[in-house]
Parts: sequence; structure tokens; C-alpha cells
Amino acid sequence: MLTRRLIVCLDVRDGRVMKGVQFVGLRDVGDPVDLAVRYEAEGADELTFLDISASAEGRATLLDVARRTAERLFIPLTIGGGVRSADDVAQVLRAGADKVSLNSAAVARPELLTESAERFGAQCVVASIDAKRESDGRWRVYVKGGREATSLDALEWAQECVARGAGELLLTSIDSDGARRGYDLPLLRAVSHAVRVPVIASGGAGRASHLVDAVRIGGADAVLVAGILHDGVTTVRDLKAAMVEAELPVRSLAA
Amino acid sequence: MRRVTVFDYEAGNLHSLLKALDDPALGVRVRVETDARALLRDTDLLVLPGVGAFGHAAARLAPGRTDVAAALRDGLPALGICLGLQLLCEASDEGAGDGLGVVPGRVRLLRARRVPQIGWNRVEWTAAEGAPSATLPQLPIAYYANSYVAAIDGNDPCVLATSTHETDRFAAVVRVARTVGAQFHPEKSSAAGVAFVRAVVADAVGAVVDA
Repeated sequence: MLTRRLIVCLDVRDGRVMKGVQFVGLRDVGDPVDLAVRYEAEGADELTFLDISASAEGRATLLDVARRTAERLFIPLTIGGGVRSADDVAQVLRAGADKVSLNSAAVARPELLTESAERFGAQCVVASIDAKRESDGRWRVYVKGGREATSLDALEWAQECVARGAGELLLTSIDSDGARRGYDLPLLRAVSHAVRVPVIASGGAGRASHLVDAVRIGGADAVLVAGILHDGVTTVRDLKAAMVEAELPVRSLAA
Repeated sequence: MRRVTVFDYEAGNLHSLLKALDDPALGVRVRVETDARALLRDTDLLVLPGVGAFGHAAARLAPGRTDVAAALRDGLPALGICLGLQLLCEASDEGAGDGLGVVPGRVRLLRARRVPQIGWNRVEWTAAEGAPSATLPQLPIAYYANSYVAAIDGNDPCVLATSTHETDRFAAVVRVARTVGAQFHPEKSSAAGVAFVRAVVADAVGAVVDA
């Protein structure tokens, strides 16, 4: 039986891990390679680097970071942000990522999911979906880091991503992101029931019980955590211990 | 110095695997080879890594397939990881082409609702006293990213460990002669996985390492 995963996400800009709220007051919090290795030692099941560089130089730096990380990290690494084409996917995988997450580029050209899955396998294609609740109770897909609305319904888009070859979905609630009041459970439930691939919950983790709820109530296969770890609110070790306490199947370091 | 050859079918990243092999205690020289016809040149251990699709990999292996299969049957140590394990089988439902036929049977799709299987799954080792698994560290959990598995029966004596995805029990680790295959990714299974890789290498080249 597969265990439920705890994935740590790091925002990387120009080769450094940055922290900030809504891109305001970005602050350098360290070297991505060192932080990645530290989170593996604490028991993280996977790492995700989200590239928030705006420049071509930043992109090149990220590939270098991926190379240096892959030489020291022995858990899966996903890289997302700014991946536009199947050749970009090839470059990121070649640099050391195990999976690539596709967001705006997949919305702009859904064939990218299929091309990537056919070339590299569905297991390394993560469709990243940013969703926001509308007044009619449905969820709409946003792109460009949550700044631009699309005409897509999140549930329908999730199913289309899977049909086109995505092996996992990274589902971020724009409404919950950064608020630390818990993941968007209705959104998670709706999507995880609608697709047959693993769904990663993202946006809203404030404490360990939120992770447990995302799995138990939301049906998430994995939970993504960022801010509360970087701010020192809690640790991977404590979050994993709480998941064990709640009797969720997880990989514990003692095992 | 003993020599390890890693077959690169140019489908994905080998960084973690190469780093796992790069242990001074093993005292091996690692070579990455893209030409299947050159796989047996100066090789004490052949590693088939685990990225990509069967059809593509089988096509890349084809020019050297007959010779490699014969060498493995004659006792050349080998390690197949994920797709690499599947290449040790006879053929695959995933794509055209021949495998090495060292492990009996075909490769089939996982019988589960959620495919691919992505994540950490428990590894159940056969507990027989004096079993050939004795020299391998019996890691209790490992990282999988696969849609296909070797169709070999979980109770076959060459199966050293099994895992179960939903209700489908499949071979996690197989061993035939001096060939070891792992359906999981040891190079992505943290410290215990790295220890697994190094134990296979140590066993193959006769090095002594602390797991």
C-alpha cells in the first residue's frame, strides 16, 4: 500500500531559496541544495523546486542548482516554473529532476502534456493547477502565478490533464494559499474523486492537523508544505509524527 | 580497479544513481555507455537504470541484446532498476521489442485503479533462512514510479521481495544467477536505498562496505 507523502516546496530565484508573501518582501533564506538535503534528513518524502526567476540567467542558474541537488539528494525532485516546451522538459530532467510540473504552458498548449508523457513517461509529468472558487460554487483555473483567470473549469481541466498524459496533479487553492487555515477540502475532494492519478494538496497548511484533513477528508495522496517549515512554525519531523499519530500510512524514518 | 558500466538510453536523469555508485569504499570506476554494442567492454557489473518506456529502451538495447543476455547467463553481475528490471524480462505489454530474457515471463500493466503507481510503498521480503536476499539490505519501504511490472509469480523462488499496489502483488526484487532487479528506485529511496545499491555493487565486485 502506498504511503501518503509529505512534499516540501522551495521557491527558488536566481539560485537562492526565497520566502515572501504574494511575492512581496522576498527574502533570501538559503542555499537550495543545503536546504533540500536537510529536509531529506528530516524525513521529507519528496522535494519540489518552484522557479520564480524572471530572467534567462535565473533559468540557467536553476538548471545548475538541479544538477548540484541531484548529486546530493536521494529522494525524488520535481521542478516547476517557466517550463514551456517538451525540450524544456528534457533539459530539466537531464539536469537532475525526476518530474516536471507544468502549469501555464499546459493551459496555453495542452498538447505539451501529451508530448512530454509520450517522450518521458506519465510518471514524470505533473500537471500543476491553480484554482479559485467562483460565486457559483465552481472552481476556475488561473495562470501566470494566479494573476490571470482562464475560461477553464478546474474539475474539467483536471480530467483533461490526466486524459492528456499527466501522471500526477498538483492542486493549489488560490483562496487558501498563504492563509494557513487549512487546505481547500471541498476542492480536493472534488478533484481526487474525479481523477485516477495521485493528487497533491497545496495551499493553506498552517498546522499538522491540516495535513491529516487533506488526506482523510480531501482524499489527497500527498500534501505539499512550504511556508510553515521555512518560518520555523513546525518541522518535517513533527508533521510526520502527527500523521503517524493520526494512523495515516506514512514513511517514518524509524521504519 | 573493478569497473561498473551504466547503460544510458538517454531518457532521463542518472545523477542520483551515479552518485550512489560513487562510493570510495566500493573502489569502482563507473562508465556511462550509450552504445549497447559496447556494454560488455571492460565491465565487471552492468547497470540498467530505470527511466523511459520499454519500446524505446529495447530498441536502444537491440544491437547488443544477444551478447548481453549470454554474458548475464554466464554469470556477469547485473543490476536492473525499474525499467531496467523489465528489460531483464522476455518482452513487455508496454511496447515492442525483445528484453534480455534472463528473468522469465513478460512485463504487464499494474492491475490497479491508480496507475502509474507513484510514491513510497512497503517492500515485503521473503524470510527464508539462507535465502539469496541475505546479502542485500532489506529496506522496508521504497520509492516507486511505474505503470508496468514483471509478470512473474510472487511465489517464484527468484522473487526475493514483493510489494502490493492496491490489491496487485508484484515482484519488487528478483535475483537470477548474479543478476538483481529492483522494480523500485533505490537511488530515490533515501539512505536505505543508496545502501541497497552499494550492497549490490559490493556483492558483484567483492568489496566490503558498511551498509
